[in-house]
Amino acid sequence: MPDTSAVIPRTQHVALQSRLLGVLGAGFLLFVVGYIMVPIVVTAAMSFNDATIIRFPINAWSLRWYHDFLSSPQWTGALVNSLIIAVGTMVISTAAGVLAAWAFERYHIPMRGFWYIVIMLPLFTPGVVLGLGVAIAFGAITIAGEPIYGSHGLVMLAHSLWAMPLVFMLMEATFRTIDHRVIEASYDLGGRPARTFFEIVLPMVSIGIISSALFAFVISLNEFVMALFLTTRDSQTLPVLMWLSLRSAGSPRLAVAAVILALAVYACLTVVLLWYVRQVRKTAS
Amino acid sequence: MTSPALVEAARVEAATSRIRLMERLAPWALMAPALMIALLIFGLPTLYMARMSFNEYEYPLHYVPGFTFEHYGRLLSDPHFFAAILRTIRLSLMAAACTLVIGYCFALLAWLQPARWRLMFLALAACPLLISEISIIFGWWMFFPRNGLLSYALVSSGLVTDKISLMYTEFAAFVGLVYLTLPFCFFILLSVFDGIDRRLIDASSDLGAKPLSTFREVLLPLTMPGLAVAFSQSFIWAMGTYATPSALGPDTLWTMGFLIQEQMLSRRNWPMATAFAMVLVIAVATVMVFTRSVMAKRTSFHA
Amino acid sequence: MAANPALELDRICRRYGPVVAVDNVSLAVSQGEFLTLLGPSGSGKTSTLRLVGGFEKLDRGQVRVDGVRVDHLPPYQRDTATIFQSGALFPHKSVAENIAYGLRMRAMSRADIGERLRQVLDVVRLAGYEDRYPSQLSGGQKQRVALARSLAVRPAILLFDEPLSALDLSLRLQLRGEIKRLHDELGFSAIYVTHDQGEAMAMSDRVAVMNKGRVEQVDSPEAIYYQPASEFIYTFIGESCCLPVRIEATAVRDETGAAVALELGHGPGEGAWRLYVRPAQFKVGTAASQCENRLKARVAFIEFLGNVYRYHLTAGSIELFCDHLGKAGLKVGDEALVGWNKPDMTVFA
Repeated sequence: MPDTSAVIPRTQHVALQSRLLGVLGAGFLLFVVGYIMVPIVVTAAMSFNDATIIRFPINAWSLRWYHDFLSSPQWTGALVNSLIIAVGTMVISTAAGVLAAWAFERYHIPMRGFWYIVIMLPLFTPGVVLGLGVAIAFGAITIAGEPIYGSHGLVMLAHSLWAMPLVFMLMEATFRTIDHRVIEASYDLGGRPARTFFEIVLPMVSIGIISSALFAFVISLNEFVMALFLTTRDSQTLPVLMWLSLRSAGSPRLAVAAVILALAVYACLTVVLLWYVRQVRKTAS
Repeated sequence: MTSPALVEAARVEAATSRIRLMERLAPWALMAPALMIALLIFGLPTLYMARMSFNEYEYPLHYVPGFTFEHYGRLLSDPHFFAAILRTIRLSLMAAACTLVIGYCFALLAWLQPARWRLMFLALAACPLLISEISIIFGWWMFFPRNGLLSYALVSSGLVTDKISLMYTEFAAFVGLVYLTLPFCFFILLSVFDGIDRRLIDASSDLGAKPLSTFREVLLPLTMPGLAVAFSQSFIWAMGTYATPSALGPDTLWTMGFLIQEQMLSRRNWPMATAFAMVLVIAVATVMVFTRSVMAKRTSFHA
Repeated sequence: MAANPALELDRICRRYGPVVAVDNVSLAVSQGEFLTLLGPSGSGKTSTLRLVGGFEKLDRGQVRVDGVRVDHLPPYQRDTATIFQSGALFPHKSVAENIAYGLRMRAMSRADIGERLRQVLDVVRLAGYEDRYPSQLSGGQKQRVALARSLAVRPAILLFDEPLSALDLSLRLQLRGEIKRLHDELGFSAIYVTHDQGEAMAMSDRVAVMNKGRVEQVDSPEAIYYQPASEFIYTFIGESCCLPVRIEATAVRDETGAAVALELGHGPGEGAWRLYVRPAQFKVGTAASQCENRLKARVAFIEFLGNVYRYHLTAGSIELFCDHLGKAGLKVGDEALVGWNKPDMTVFA
């Protein structure tokens, strides 16, 4: 009796395997989507919970915890602190990162590999270590009688340790995509280096700058390990307050805080996207 | 040489040296803010911490100036501390491995999709990045306990009879850790995939290979270097985070990060805290250097 | 007193490590002259232009623009304006803003800028395009805006950096004519870099042929074509066929030593020579027997080039081709007589 299994054409094997893998792929995708969405969905749902303790199932829905959050000076104060620090970090690290990236692109720098590592090193250091270091080294310093420990400025600088290298790395890559002839054309027509930088280069990389600034803002807004080491009761940021409240006051107020934090990020993203669309439309063919 | 020619030559010389000087100074002026941040806010505290880790400690002061290896010694000799180091490494390795597997499959799926779907994949993978770690912790914090969503879902669907709690287990900490490192791993691997010529895959299937064979013989070897980078980055990231394991895991799951925070904020033992920090930094640096030297044999880094 | 030349290069040198890109180049461009730097890639023509513009640093020598010494001055302090290969327009600025940029740098009043803008857009025939953006322009239009932008600042000399090589053929020819017309109309001084000899010949008052960083010959286009100063120039400009022969007392031999049936009525004496003839100057078939120099050869293959038939012939190791209007009645494999006259032949040792 001839072995009929060998008669089944090879292409059918391939097709069968492809189909199996396709099903597996779809299942896996569902799993990943679920995995990523679980904390998000759970938090969002819980923020509308009417009860005072966190438990499932949610029986009553209301906005009471939103009212509670917005009327609590401690929590809104923390939010304001977070926003102030995030804006400050964004300004500091974007300015420093963009200028340094431009220096790398345009000029000759001796031992440039070494300086690259020096600038990037803080990004690869755990937040715990950075927070500890800054707290210990600068904790006792006072400027004009005011201790800088617990000040917004110190946290901004600490957050810049992560944000600035990120901006630098992104902008360095962005600057490399610029057509150098355009810069030469500007010089050729009489534009000095500073004017060329502000009037020609920056607008050409505006998208890169805005994206990096956004990253810096988000990093600072969400960061809490460094902030934990560097803030006091009055200056604590929202994530720090959330962390401290985790064990003691586990109420839906925390869920509201998480949602509001995420909304702040989402709002920034939307602004950037709208700006980007407007840019594209302005110069589109 | 006539007088006007001499004057002109001198003028040109002066202009030349002025311009050359500015060319030399300009980059440093531009880099100054970034370097100040790197050297002053990072370099200085690091040196300070290194020095501090050798100081002595006497309650109730934060530290007493001196020089001793006592704290490093305690790190290695005290079973609690040493166990914490090993536990951190073990947990990070497992989390990195799991992240790598999930991230690889996810990135592969994203890479194979047509362009219009890719944006959705990217948005999905970027979600955990845009959310604060504390929000993530809180999300899982409401998922795992007895009264959390998981328990409710399992009970109401009839899969289990009694409420269960996975909170404060190593599994919960593991899940949280993988969630945190997944986006980074995904983006690294996606860029690795983007560097591969898709036609190689087409050629392989054109020659009659089954999808799994194509994967094993073509795709996997090509992406090996990228795998190493992604793994090491995930490992480093997992090593550095402590909030998630300590919040979601059992109280016995001490990680190095947690110990640092404990020594600093609760015990106020600065030398001990900085000693821990130094060890953590050295461990991270070692992994990075090791990865780079392995990679340098294959590819070239930023020029 | 005679006016200063628009541009003077005095023994300029530029090297990159061990490579000498520009080797002791001396040139002068008179007021209103259109001079082209012509050469293959790597000949140093682009480096020379960039040295004039100030985009590269001079190692040795002097550059004078309008009599003023400018070496080591940055581009923004030199009275030059460059038209780049891809136009290099500012992508985020409109056409009007692009053109006004250089004028603003010279602190012109808004009214004057507006007036100059109108003039210059008229001259390049782009009136009405003020508010367009570069991404909305075609390749040819972009180059015309680049031209307008540089013309607007009225520099002492215009620098053209292969502006047409990124365009397709018909556009190239059209813009070539435009630039020539503008030069005739406005009389600007220009130094133009290209590797395309057709461009160089058609547009220039003088051509400087460069090879390996040196200028081999600076002359009018006709002189370059008919009296090339070196073998390189002869072979670089136009098409030519090379016949390497050794003339002995008894026979004429090719490179391999085999004898070839070459009758030189008027030619060089004994020795090893390279004889050059342009394909259009060969005569093949019956007309060849009237020529002073005749070679017996065999038809290897025939190409139809649209306007001429190109016959490829071999004699021993010698290969040549000749262009013939219409068919010459020869097929592949035929023996044919190829002839040419002494004035059409150039000999190099």
